[in-house]
Amino acid sequence: MKVEIVGGLVAASLVVAAIAIGSGGLRHFDPALTHYAFASVIAAFAVAYRYGGWLGRPPTRRLLRRVLELALERGFARQGAHAAGLAAARLGAQSFIARRSRLRWVTHFCLSWGSMLAFAITFPLVFGWVHFETAPTEAETYRAVLFGIVLDDFSVHSWKAFAAFNALNLSAILVLVGVALALYRRLREAGDFAVQQLAVDILPLVLLFAVSATGLLLTISSRALGGGGYPFFAVTHAATVIALLLYLPFGKLFHAVQRPAHVGIGLYKRAAASGAAARCVRCGAAFASAMQVADLKHVLGALAIEPRFADGLHYQDVCPGCRRRLLALNQGRLVGR
Amino acid sequence: MEFFLDPSRCIGCQACVRACAECDTHAGRPMIHLEYVDRALSPQTAPVVCMHCEDPTCAQVCPADAIKQTEDGVVMSALAERCIGCSNCVLACPFGVPRYVPERDQMMKCDLCYDRTSLGKMPMCATVCPSGALTYGPPEVIERLRRERSVRSFRFGAQEVRTHVGLMAPAGTAEIDVDVASFIAAEPEPMRKIA
Amino acid sequence: MATLPTSEDELIARFGPHPMYEPAGGFARRPAAERLVKTHCCFCGVQCGIQLKVADGHVIGFEPWEEFPVNRGKLCSKGVARYLQNDHPDRLLHPLRRTESGFRRASWDEALGLVVERIRSIQQRHGRDAFAVLGGASLTNEKAYLLGKLARIALRTANIDYNGRLCMVSAAAANKMAFGVDRAANPWSDIPLAKCVMLVGTNVGECFPILTDYVWRARDTGAKVVVVDPRLTPIARTADLFLPVKPGRDSALFAGILADLVRRGAIDREFIHAHTVGFEAVREAVAKYTPLHTEALTGVPAASIVRAAELWAEAPTSMLLHARGLEHHTKGVENVLSTINLVLATGRIGKPGCGYGTITGQGNGQGGREHGQRCNQLPGGRDIENPAHRAEVARFWGVTETELPRAGLSAVEIFDAIERGEIKGLLSLSINPMVSLPDAAKTRRALERLEFFGAIDFFLSETARHADVVLAGSLQEEDEGTITTGEGRVVRLRRSVEPPGDARVDWRILVELAARLGFADKFRYTCAEDLFRELCAASSGGPIDYGGMSYEKIEKNLGVFWPCPKPEHPGTPRLFEGGRFAHADGRARFHVVDYRPPAEDVDRDYPLFLTTGRVVSQYLSGNQTRRIGPLLDQAPEPYVEIHPQLAEALGIAAGQMVRLATRRGELRLPALLTRAIRPDTVFVPYHWAGRLSVNRITHRALDPISKIPEFKVCAVRVEAS
Repeated sequence: MKVEIVGGLVAASLVVAAIAIGSGGLRHFDPALTHYAFASVIAAFAVAYRYGGWLGRPPTRRLLRRVLELALERGFARQGAHAAGLAAARLGAQSFIARRSRLRWVTHFCLSWGSMLAFAITFPLVFGWVHFETAPTEAETYRAVLFGIVLDDFSVHSWKAFAAFNALNLSAILVLVGVALALYRRLREAGDFAVQQLAVDILPLVLLFAVSATGLLLTISSRALGGGGYPFFAVTHAATVIALLLYLPFGKLFHAVQRPAHVGIGLYKRAAASGAAARCVRCGAAFASAMQVADLKHVLGALAIEPRFADGLHYQDVCPGCRRRLLALNQGRLVGR
Repeated sequence: MEFFLDPSRCIGCQACVRACAECDTHAGRPMIHLEYVDRALSPQTAPVVCMHCEDPTCAQVCPADAIKQTEDGVVMSALAERCIGCSNCVLACPFGVPRYVPERDQMMKCDLCYDRTSLGKMPMCATVCPSGALTYGPPEVIERLRRERSVRSFRFGAQEVRTHVGLMAPAGTAEIDVDVASFIAAEPEPMRKIA
Repeated sequence: MATLPTSEDELIARFGPHPMYEPAGGFARRPAAERLVKTHCCFCGVQCGIQLKVADGHVIGFEPWEEFPVNRGKLCSKGVARYLQNDHPDRLLHPLRRTESGFRRASWDEALGLVVERIRSIQQRHGRDAFAVLGGASLTNEKAYLLGKLARIALRTANIDYNGRLCMVSAAAANKMAFGVDRAANPWSDIPLAKCVMLVGTNVGECFPILTDYVWRARDTGAKVVVVDPRLTPIARTADLFLPVKPGRDSALFAGILADLVRRGAIDREFIHAHTVGFEAVREAVAKYTPLHTEALTGVPAASIVRAAELWAEAPTSMLLHARGLEHHTKGVENVLSTINLVLATGRIGKPGCGYGTITGQGNGQGGREHGQRCNQLPGGRDIENPAHRAEVARFWGVTETELPRAGLSAVEIFDAIERGEIKGLLSLSINPMVSLPDAAKTRRALERLEFFGAIDFFLSETARHADVVLAGSLQEEDEGTITTGEGRVVRLRRSVEPPGDARVDWRILVELAARLGFADKFRYTCAEDLFRELCAASSGGPIDYGGMSYEKIEKNLGVFWPCPKPEHPGTPRLFEGGRFAHADGRARFHVVDYRPPAEDVDRDYPLFLTTGRVVSQYLSGNQTRRIGPLLDQAPEPYVEIHPQLAEALGIAAGQMVRLATRRGELRLPALLTRAIRPDTVFVPYHWAGRLSVNRITHRALDPISKIPEFKVCAVRVEAS
């Protein structure tokens, strides 16, 4: 069996097990959320399947291996500290996006943190890991229970209760703001507009919008419309959420799963910069790290790409600038000018 | 429509570089490469656009799976949401095309002015190029106008590459077998033209 | 009086040049274009068609104009980046008046009033010719005509000249002498029809990049390209034959080539007999230029000289094109005549693919010299000393013939006269002699001696810094008008935007000055087209006849070639068809040219040749292009090209600072080592000002006929510094 399928099955099984165990043998599992749980299991399989396939590609495998080697060589603690710093900046603050444009950054920050907040709340609820119950002694007090352990008791009038019950609304609003900004930017920036593709760039925005809007409508229905339309909104919300979960592994949003590699490459580049430089065999200039050139030769070999010449010269030892010049020199000689 | 590259005609005026920088997708930042081959030797210059390989090396070595081809074979800049700025593509491309842009921590490259070519217009660089070093048009027209023929097969040692962009070479050239060794001469050949 | 009002640094801080990299608001906020204006590039005599993108009253970019037949959408880097001169922080937005410590804003009334008052006062005290007028060679035909008329009618000064004096006047004079008319004989479209293209002293790839396309189109059909230049320029690199001529020896080279053609009997006796005068004397004169003798004079190998003659003779059609490399000499006219002798002797003119021409370098180098902006010419290419021509123009302008000034001083001579104290006042329009004239110290001394200097410009040029009053004028894209390109095609410029702030369209400033000088009745124009109609009517019947042109006709035909005497006339792309020349007898003239050395040849003290020229990203004195960031970055500073052999002998390493010393002064520049230059010659591009200006050390010697300075050769000593 292919390793991706094994990975997918393992991931799906883990989610099932986590539901079973985390909900105290389904005691706290809400049967009304079964369809969400089912979609999550499918999504787990698909995400792991794709992730496994991705990690198995020669360049990714090489990168992963090199990062693990670095951790072994330089100590997990030190590398872990670097990784934590990089993760805070790249995955948390996402500051590299701000350098492209501030608007892009605000947009992405709203979308990503809105989505992650929503997932952080809904998965534990769906899986039965967290549930709320009325405290046995006081009707006005709520009790939050995680994995069967009482986390906290708080008054229904407290800010904690407000936060707990409105966190999902906040996440929906964040996502909606993000979607609005994303569309605004696409319309305003001619360059972006030109290269947009409906299925690739617009569909995920539509999905995020649909999930957030229907979610908010549920709140509005129960609080302002006396439950009017609630069953309809509940069905559409469920449908959009399931669509989003099933889309996750296949479209643009999969980058959320891949993105930690950006932390890995940070560690890689740091090590590369501190190591020896590769020098071009033609012009003598330092053009990359020797480690990366060696890794690339390895990757190319694994891909059955062999830019190796009769005299043993490997094209990876010629700098990109000289490769461009060599194209002109070879063509010039062929045409006699 | 095809793109034809004839570096031997280039006069190094940088019209292509400036025009490339006008594109709204990378405004102010040219993607085409143009540099002197050896300024101390002659004014020869080397313009290089992305050759848009059939099976691009850049995409194959990308750990983030960020480099995609359109259905018509155009190799696009790395997807911003995937690219992790590792520079594997920059180093592996046999034509030396992709650029790592530090400010964006991202790879960017020539995308054949996809905003223009997908609408039937010519790429900006080939539109403005005054020497014919960069040309875009129907192959039969180019064949009628030029004596050279476009070659889209390249060999770098044991690596074979097939491209969408053609390099102009004498008629009958089936493949361009890139020679490196004879251009690593320690001493530049003496100036032929000036005694 | 006209020393700089404050330090150079302060002037630069306030008025630039500052490099501009992005359109107003930046690339990220660039809006979509509201409209595309079909117009032309302002940066050389080819006048490529271009569409300027306009939004909200600003030029925000460009789009190629592929339908315009000359360049078919092609552009060089200057054309692509030209739009960045708009919304520029250095742009002059209102008149300036000089103060004790700089410049202050002045009202138009104050500024114009002062100019008029000083013109009157100087002319009353020192005579009419004590006030001179100088114009640029990138001005529209309308403005050039108006400036000439202003000088001759309102100021009645003889001393009006233009920047074309530094461009192709040697060719203009030689063309008139040989053909009886001054225009490139063929449209560029004849180049691809030629089987041999000889490029003489013309760095086509850098100075007229678009013509590279024409040369390659010829080569694609099997044409041979011969390049004559002391430098292996980009077009020379791939040429079939390269003749690395020693600077200042061109006329000897062409005598040698012609002599070889005569020897091999490759001359067109029939054509010579039917259509020319004076061949025998030329034949005798060139006889002594054997290949070996010519090699000794020119440094070009004898075999190459013979091969050039062979390639020319073998080709059924051929064209010879030249530019400043041949013309910027004290014998510029003779050099040009020597190439015309070759063309005439082989009958290679007036036929498809056969012809000859100078490639005009400045935006309107051609039109600027046709309609009276030149010290010796009146509208329609008329000669100011020809009584019949004088009478025609006097009648047209409604003045008596005696009121019309006679021939005045040329541009360089005007500065000499200023320095001598004979000319006291100067009005200039978009001309920057502090950078572009040779021997800049002398130019500066002259400017400092002026009693009054009024400058019209859009940016404060290095010259305008010396002005008492600066009138904020217009950029090319802020006005309507026409330009006559290097091939004699009159093309239409369209206004894209209005002048910003309180700046005004140039010609309206001139009209206002004329009115204030009391000549409102002779300067009644409501639009640029009024000016063009008058210009066409004025030229009618003259050697350069625009009589049948109109804006509508030019727009419809994407340009009209002169002569075009009647509205139904289609224009004349190719001159001299059927061997009919413009001299009264219809015949072309041969001229005996005997080689003579340049004004300043090399000697023991100054053992090397210094030659100057352009780089592709800069235009003329750089007053515009040094303010466009990407163009400046392409060539941020000048350098001196030195052959590695010479560098080794002098102990100079690549990039090292070297001292260039001539009899005028010294200059320090970094060395650029390249084998693409003769080892006895060094080259410096000239677009920069102040301590970077090679014109601080160039030679002010003039051609006796054309009055062009000898930019292309003087003697220099080069040392490591």
